[in-house]
Amino acid sequence: MTLFAQQFVNGIALGSVYALVALGLTLVYGVLKVPNFAHGALYMAGAYVVYVMLTAVGGSYALAIAVAVVVIAVMGAAMEFVVFRRLEGKSSVHAMIAALGVLFFLEGTADVIWGPDFRPVPTPLDGVVTAFGINITEQRILVIVAAIVAMAGLYFLLKRTLVGMSIEAMAQDREGALLVGIDTRRVALITFAISGALAAIAGALIAPLVLVFPTMGAVIILKAFVIVILGGMGSVPGAILGGYLLALAETMAGTYVAFAFSELIAFALLVLVLVFRPTGLFQKGV
Amino acid sequence: MRRIRRRSGSAGRLVLLASVVFLAGACGGEGGAGEDGLEVVPIGFAGPLSGGAAYYGRNVLRGLQMASDEIAESGGFMVDGRAHRFEIVTADDRYLPYETSTAARRLLQQNQPAVILVPHAGGIRALQEINLREPKFLLLAYSSEPSILEAQNPLMVMLPPRFDGYQEPFIDVLMPRFGNRLALLGTTTAYGRAWTESVTAEWTSRGGTVGRDHGVDYNTTTDFTGAVSRALADNPDVLFIGGPSQPTALVIRAAREQGFGGGFLIMDQAKFMEMLDIVSMEALEGAVGVYPQSLYPTEGTPGWVARYHERFGQDFQVPTSEVAINYQGLHLVARAMELAGTTTDPEAIRARIGEAARTMPDELRIFDMGGVTDAGHLTRAVFAAHVLNGEFIAVPIPVPASTQLR
Amino acid sequence: MGSAHVRRAVALGVPLVLAILFPLLVNNPYLVSVAVSAYVTAIAVYGLNVMLGYTGQLSLAHAGFYGIGGYTVGILTSDYGFSFWLALPIALAFTSLLGHLIGLAALRTRHDYFAIFTLAVGVMIVIVIERWESLTGGTDGLIGIPAPGSIGPLSFTSLNSQYYLALAFLVFTIYVVWSLMHSLVGRTFLAVRNSEELARAVGIDAGRTHQLSFVISAALAALGGGLYAAFSGSIGPDVGDVPMTFNMLVYLMIGGVASLPGPLVGTILIMGLMQALQAFQEYTLMILGPILILVVVFFPGGLAGQGKVLFERLTRREADQ
Repeated sequence: MTLFAQQFVNGIALGSVYALVALGLTLVYGVLKVPNFAHGALYMAGAYVVYVMLTAVGGSYALAIAVAVVVIAVMGAAMEFVVFRRLEGKSSVHAMIAALGVLFFLEGTADVIWGPDFRPVPTPLDGVVTAFGINITEQRILVIVAAIVAMAGLYFLLKRTLVGMSIEAMAQDREGALLVGIDTRRVALITFAISGALAAIAGALIAPLVLVFPTMGAVIILKAFVIVILGGMGSVPGAILGGYLLALAETMAGTYVAFAFSELIAFALLVLVLVFRPTGLFQKGV
Repeated sequence: MRRIRRRSGSAGRLVLLASVVFLAGACGGEGGAGEDGLEVVPIGFAGPLSGGAAYYGRNVLRGLQMASDEIAESGGFMVDGRAHRFEIVTADDRYLPYETSTAARRLLQQNQPAVILVPHAGGIRALQEINLREPKFLLLAYSSEPSILEAQNPLMVMLPPRFDGYQEPFIDVLMPRFGNRLALLGTTTAYGRAWTESVTAEWTSRGGTVGRDHGVDYNTTTDFTGAVSRALADNPDVLFIGGPSQPTALVIRAAREQGFGGGFLIMDQAKFMEMLDIVSMEALEGAVGVYPQSLYPTEGTPGWVARYHERFGQDFQVPTSEVAINYQGLHLVARAMELAGTTTDPEAIRARIGEAARTMPDELRIFDMGGVTDAGHLTRAVFAAHVLNGEFIAVPIPVPASTQLR
Repeated sequence: MGSAHVRRAVALGVPLVLAILFPLLVNNPYLVSVAVSAYVTAIAVYGLNVMLGYTGQLSLAHAGFYGIGGYTVGILTSDYGFSFWLALPIALAFTSLLGHLIGLAALRTRHDYFAIFTLAVGVMIVIVIERWESLTGGTDGLIGIPAPGSIGPLSFTSLNSQYYLALAFLVFTIYVVWSLMHSLVGRTFLAVRNSEELARAVGIDAGRTHQLSFVISAALAALGGGLYAAFSGSIGPDVGDVPMTFNMLVYLMIGGVASLPGPLVGTILIMGLMQALQAFQEYTLMILGPILILVVVFFPGGLAGQGKVLFERLTRREADQ
C-alpha cells in the first residue's frame, strides 16, 4: 500500500510535466492545425535557459523561470512568424516537415553551444518531506503546485480575456473568427507564444530534477503526442487529464509489471485507441 | 535575361556542390615533414563525434590529442634516426558499425594511417573484418567487452580491462558490509544487460538473493523516482546500478531521498568524479565502483592530472579513464614504433606493444601494464574504489586467471 | 517526337554509364563505399516516396521496416545459415506482410493522425528490437552477417562487386517505381492523393489503394535494409530508429518528393555532402534544419522539381527560337 501511494505521488509529479508539455502542443494544434514536432525543443530550450541562469548568470530560481518563460514565448512566436505563417493553406504534412526542420535547427544549435553533454542543474530546493511513509522532495512538490497554478492561469486566460476568447473562437471555427473581425494572424502569434511559455514552464520546473541535454525533448514530445491524440487534438482538459493518466499508467505498469516495458505503454495505448477510434478518444472542444 | 541568369546560377551551384563532394573525397593529407621539422605520422580515430554518443567519443579523442600534443612538444619520437610526431585524423561513425567501416576506409584512403583506434565493440568487430586485408592496419580497440577477443585478430590490441573482472571483487566488499539481498537497477543497453547477468550469477553463487530486474534505459528515462521506489520496495541491502555517470548519480540521489541506507554496486561505465557533480560524498557512502582516474594510486597519475588541467583548463572537470587509457595507449604506440623502427608496418608495431608497455617511463605510468595476451588483450593493474567513511579506499582487481601473458 | 526520345535516352543513359564507370573512374574504396550506402538508402527512400509522394501519406515507421528487412536477412543468414538469395525474398515477404497488417490498422487514420500512428509504430519496432535480445542482439545489434553469396561465376565479397549489386538493385527499384507510376494503378494513386472523395466518386477503392501503396513502400524499405545488412556485415537498432526515417525524409524532400529522380538525387547529394563536410559534423543539423524549412516553404518540388522547371523553361526557349 505504501508502495502504491509512493508511486501515485511519483506519477502525479511526472504527470504535471507531461500535462504542461501536452497543453502547449494541443493549443497550437487546435488553433492552427500544426502538429508541432519542434515543441519538445522549446521544452529543452526552457531547461537550458534555467541552466544558464542558475550556473552562469546568477539570481534566484524564480527569476530563472520568469526569464525562461519570456525567452521561450518569444521563440515560439518567432517560429510562427518565420515558418508556419508561410505554410497557411498547405497540408498538415508540410507543416509537420517544416516543424522537423525547426527541431533539427534548435537541437543542432543547442549541441553547438553546449555540446552533447548531460548538464546537471543545481537544485534550489533539496529538502525531502516524509509523511505516511511516503517520501517526496520539495522540488517535486513545487512541480506539482506550479503546474496547477500554470493550468489555472491558462484557464483564466482562455475564458476571461479577450485574447483567450479569440483563441477559442479560432480553434472552433477559423473562417467564422475571421468574419467576426478577429485578427487571425495576431491570434496565431499569441497562441504560439503561450505554447512556448507552457513548454518553458515544464522545462524550467523539471530541469533541477533531471539532466539537461540537446535531445532531452525527444522522448517527452512523443509522449505528448500520444496524450494529445488520446485526449483529442486541441482539447485542453483532454491534455491535462491525459498527462496525469499516462504518467500514472507508466509508473504503475512499471511497478507491477516491469519498468523495461513501461516505455512501450504510451505507444501501445495510442495504437489501440486509434485502431478503434481513428479520431481519438474525445471529440475536440477547447 | 533573368531566366538565363537564374539557370546558370542554379546549374553553377550544382556543379559547385558536386565538386565539393568529390574534392573532399579525393584530396587529403599525406605523410611528410610538418612545420616544426618533425615527420608526421597519421593516427586514425573512427568513432562517434556526433549524435548521442558524441560526448563519449570526444572524451576518447581528448586523451589521444593530449598524448599527441605532448609528444610533439617534447621534440617527437625517434624512428630511423629522424624525429616524428603524430597527427590525429578523425572520421565520425555516429556509433554505427557500418559507418565505422566507411570511416576507416576514408581514413585509409586519405591519410594511410598504420594505426586506427575505435571506441566501441560493434565498430571494432566491423574493422576486424578489414584490418588484415591490404592496406593492413593495427586496430586499437577501446572496449571492455571480452567478446572482441574471440576473433583472435593478430593486428588488434584491446586497451581497457575486461568488464568481467569487476564483479567478484565488488561483491567481496559489499556483501560482508551490507548483507546478501541485491536489487537490480542497471541500464538496459546490451552492455548493461551483460553486466546485470554477470552480477546476478556471481551474487547468487555466493548464496545471496537477487530480486527481479528493475532495469531502465538510463539514456531515455526522464524521472528515475518510480523505478527506484519499486526497487527499494524489495528491501535490498545493495543496489546494482549504472549507465552513464550523470543519470547514475540521479539514481543514487533518488535512492537516498527515499531513505535507502545500503550500498551501491556501480557498473564501470559510471565514474565517481563525474557523479560528484550531482551528488555529495555522503550520498556515495557504501558505493563500490571503478577507482577515480584522477586519484589513481600510481606514480604517473598526479603529474598527468596536472598536465591535463594545464592543457584543458578546469572546464573539463576531471579526466576519466576514457582519457587516461587512450592517452597512455598513444604513448604506447609511439614507444612501440621506436622499438620496431617503423611507423608504417602494423605487424612490426604490434609485435613490440608488450615490450613498450612493460618499459613505460614513470611519468607515463598512470597504469602499471603487464603485456599483451595471445588474443590481443593488454593487461594492466586496475583498482576498484570502495567509499568508506567519506574516502575512496583502493581495492586491487585481480587479472582473470584465464588471461595468459605472452 | 524523335528528339524527345533522344533527350530521354541521354537523360537516362548518361547517369547510368557514369554510375557503371564510377568505381573505375575514382579508384577510391572510400568513395565507392559511400556510394554503396547511398544507393542502398535511396532504395528505401523510393519506398517513402511511393507513400508520401504518390499517395500523400507520411509514414514515420519507414526506417522501422528498413530495420526489419535488415534484421530478417541478418538473422536468417548468420544464425540459421540461409543463403542471402533466399533470405532477401523472405525478408521482403515478411516485411510486406507485416506492413499489410500494420496498414490495416494505421490506414484507418489519415494525414497527421496517420503520421503519428506510424511514429508510435516506429518507436515500438525499435523498442522490440532492443529488448528481444536473444534474437536481435539487443542494443549491440547483430554482427558477422555474411556478404551475399556467389551466383555462378559472380561473387560479391569485394567492395566493387557489392557496388554493382547495389546499383543493379537500385536500377531495378527505379524501374519498378517507374512502371508502377505509368500503370493504371499509379494513376489511381495520384487520384487518391489529389482528392480521396473524387477518387471514390469515380469508383476507386481508396482504402485498397492506400493499403497497396503502404505495402509497396514497406517492401522497398525492406529491400534496402536487407542489402544494408549484407553489405555492412552488421546491423543495430539505430538503423531502424525514427531519426533514420527523418534522415530519409530530408533526402526525399530536398531531392524532390513525387518525382522519379528526386529520391536518388537527394540521397546522393545529402549523404555525399555529409561525408564532405565531416569537419563541420556538429553543424549539420543546424544547417539541414533551415534547408528543410526553405524547401517546404519555397521549393515544395525539391531539386528535381526545380530541375524540371528549369528543363521545361530551357526547352520552351529553344522551341521559341
